[in-house]
Amino acid sequence: MDEVARSLRSFLPETTLTLGLLLVVLADAFRVPARAAVCRWLTLVTLAASLGFTLRYSGPWGETWSGMLVQDPLAALLKVVMLAAALLIVLAFQRARELAGLGLGEFYALLLGVTLANLLLATSNDLAMLYLSLEMVSITSYVMVAYIKGDRLSNEASLKYVLFGAVSTGAMLYGLSLLYGLTGTTSLPEIRAFLAAGVTDQTRFAVYLITLLILAGFGFKTAMVPFHFWCPDVYEGAPTPVTAFLSVAPKAAGFGILLRFFFSGLSYPQAGAGGLAGAINWPLTLAILSAATMTLGNVAALTQTNMKRLLAYSSIAHAGYILMGVVALSELGLRALLIYLLAYLFMNLGAFLVVTLVHADLGSFDLRDYPGLYRRAPLLTLAMAIFLLSLIGIPPMVGFLGKLYLFAALLQKAATLADGRMLYTLAVIGAINAAIAAYYYVRVIRAMFIDESDAERPPLKLELADQAWLVVLMIANVVPILGWTYVEAWTRASTLWPGK
Amino acid sequence: MSAALFCLGVLAVLTRRNAVNVLMGIELILNSANLNMVAFSRYGAGNLYGQLFAVFVIVIAAAEVAVALAIVLTMYRLRRTPNLDVADILRG
Repeated sequence: MDEVARSLRSFLPETTLTLGLLLVVLADAFRVPARAAVCRWLTLVTLAASLGFTLRYSGPWGETWSGMLVQDPLAALLKVVMLAAALLIVLAFQRARELAGLGLGEFYALLLGVTLANLLLATSNDLAMLYLSLEMVSITSYVMVAYIKGDRLSNEASLKYVLFGAVSTGAMLYGLSLLYGLTGTTSLPEIRAFLAAGVTDQTRFAVYLITLLILAGFGFKTAMVPFHFWCPDVYEGAPTPVTAFLSVAPKAAGFGILLRFFFSGLSYPQAGAGGLAGAINWPLTLAILSAATMTLGNVAALTQTNMKRLLAYSSIAHAGYILMGVVALSELGLRALLIYLLAYLFMNLGAFLVVTLVHADLGSFDLRDYPGLYRRAPLLTLAMAIFLLSLIGIPPMVGFLGKLYLFAALLQKAATLADGRMLYTLAVIGAINAAIAAYYYVRVIRAMFIDESDAERPPLKLELADQAWLVVLMIANVVPILGWTYVEAWTRASTLWPGK
Repeated sequence: MSAALFCLGVLAVLTRRNAVNVLMGIELILNSANLNMVAFSRYGAGNLYGQLFAVFVIVIAAAEVAVALAIVLTMYRLRRTPNLDVADILRG
């Protein structure tokens, strides 16, 4: 009884989301004129309340619901990122042309559903819970991608998404079933205890193969090479607000569960929370995936002319960078990953917001329509420049902070190892990739500021709310570096709950 | 047995061009995992976690197929064919 009460207290953000979801569905069922506005406000209140509960909660940390979920500072931080992403989507992406004229009640309900599943995924502590919440995220996002029913692009994107997603999560499920057969338990801490008790070489090899199968599911969620094929097509075909949301929130959840799986499932507990040496050499596998992901993402982005596609490939590349934090498998790596996700939230949502606003005006995602934008909408162009510079990782922006931490984590870890060559190589590949990425981001900036447009177009008018949100996101991209010590302290507390 | 089912499922997904057949392949993959769970639960682990997991997977599979079929149906309305090769506007 005591445990249920404790679990319920720590479950408050999720309970709020569930209630809000039900209320939005109910409100949407009434045929009143103000339906859309009511649904929107209900969604906003729900998300804000949930965010408030998450921020106010400060322990006790530990397993809840008989070991199904785990509450730790890491999960709390990830929850903040995911809830903030959902809030910003509802607040700032109102003017998306693709969603105009569609009933949005279901959209808000789906958004709350994905957010709820994201929170569960970031806190799952059991293979069954992990699979359930991952599928809940996936299934709801398939529907979100398919939201424009009569649109061929949206339909094709969702078709590719659902087929690719079903196969990769199917492979993951097969891996999970084998892991259960091998260890006889579905709880992550118990699997860890099983591995820590000592395993034969044969078992070690089996665990290695199983993990490759399971990585298919995580790789699909985080758009990691070679499970990235859906990403550009889905990002291009989906409505832009959905694209923006998918590029941040489920990705954060995917990295959260990846961390939890590797840190609390597959490593020796004796080594402490940081500096874990797993039963198997994971860092090498992950380092190869990370290098492949960022290189492929960046090289493919070089030739893109569709802005949504360009940002899709750039998000694949960023997944590669973030993966560097997992490769380091250290306390600092964990913090670097969180800081990068936080930075990524602001810079990527900002870039997508600008793309949405340009599309609302011109009906085009093509980079060829961007020249001359500076003269038509100075504020918009300035904002886009800041977001792109932040994505490159230029110093005053928040993106720089993220990259700084990632590389620092990698180099620090390399220095502690007897043979750190592999990590140094990864750091060099990362640096080269950052340079490649700068090329295509600067290409967009050049198109907006310098290139002349051949067609004379009237100035692009922004509504006050749009301007306000652009300014807010611009500030969010610059301020964290001033409050650097605060960010440092905030993430320092965000270690993983060390398990049993 | 379950490995054979898994391989059949993957094969079906990779070779079939009809969307409905691909979905059947996906079902095979999920059921191969279910078979594993139940068998391990009965003969290996000696606890009921696996059987419980399998029940959840059956529910999830139903939900997933419902969504996938709805999407395939929309595609059929838009293009008058269940063939996956025609879905090729998005590329590059």
